[in-house]
Amino acid sequence: MATPKELSSSNNVNNTVVGPSILISGRLTGDEDLTVRGRVEGELTLSRTLIVEPSGVVKANVAVKNAIVSGVVVGNINATESVELTREGRMVGDIHAPRVIIVDGASFRGRVDMGDVEPGRLPAERPTVARPTTTARPTTTPARPAPPAARPTPPPPPARTAPPPAATRPAPAPAAPAARPGAKPMPPPPPPTRVEARPAPAPVEQATSAEPPSVLGAGAKKKVVVKKKAR
Amino acid sequence: MANTVIGSSIVIDGEISGDEDLVIQGTVKGKISLKESLYVEGSGVVEADIETQNVEIAGRVTGNIVASDKVELKTDCRVVGDIKAPRILIADGASFKGNVDMDMKER
Repeated sequence: MATPKELSSSNNVNNTVVGPSILISGRLTGDEDLTVRGRVEGELTLSRTLIVEPSGVVKANVAVKNAIVSGVVVGNINATESVELTREGRMVGDIHAPRVIIVDGASFRGRVDMGDVEPGRLPAERPTVARPTTTARPTTTPARPAPPAARPTPPPPPARTAPPPAATRPAPAPAAPAARPGAKPMPPPPPPTRVEARPAPAPVEQATSAEPPSVLGAGAKKKVVVKKKAR
Repeated sequence: MANTVIGSSIVIDGEISGDEDLVIQGTVKGKISLKESLYVEGSGVVEADIETQNVEIAGRVTGNIVASDKVELKTDCRVVGDIKAPRILIADGASFKGNVDMDMKER
């Protein structure tokens, strides 16, 4: 086995791993990458990267430089650089980071705050930020009709204040909802950013957006989610 | 290599429990309970009560240790606390202060 010196001298190596049967509850701080395959509860502060693997569960307030979530995170993540939810990632909580990546298949409920939008930032990056909200959308959005096709679900509830993510997502994180009761309704602050939100019932919107035939084809391959600008 | 490693720059204040080997190169305060082996390496600092099957200590431990099998204090380790285990090994060069109890159920 490598000596501690060998391990700690190479910065690119993940020298800290929380194995699948390990539970850590309390405060965890450090200056190196951390890979979580087990459970960490409490508070987690790193000056480097947190990797939550598919078997990993983090129920903590997290402050890191980068976070890559392939497992489950319940709690807020504050990252100085980036947060990435991979397709296996599930998260409930708020994300505060200049770069937030949420890929197809990830499930997430909470707020995203990227801070001040820099003028030079590529606008193309913005739509990758997802929030699983099905109601706030223009009728012509092409990607919309996909979720019902991909995952048969009952029609979304007509009230747009209800938590619609449940209708479009496969697994809305069983342990999650109770943990953040405040996150269920849409966050109150950003009324201007939701100008396009319409209180009309979702089924109506589906009918209208299904009219152009090309729309369905485009939607079928993109089953993900949402765009949002709220913070 | 063991599944779980607490790296040298990591500080954990709280409780660690689990069913697998744990290697500590960093700092852990609080409590550790494992069903397998605990290795406190030279850079490791543990201020915690420890409850495991095996413990090997090359670093510093402050706290009481209860092991169901064996406790091994290696050269250059510094341990303060009581040790209770059926087998206790203290190597030349180890420094230790505390009680030793090997009087587990004898059979």
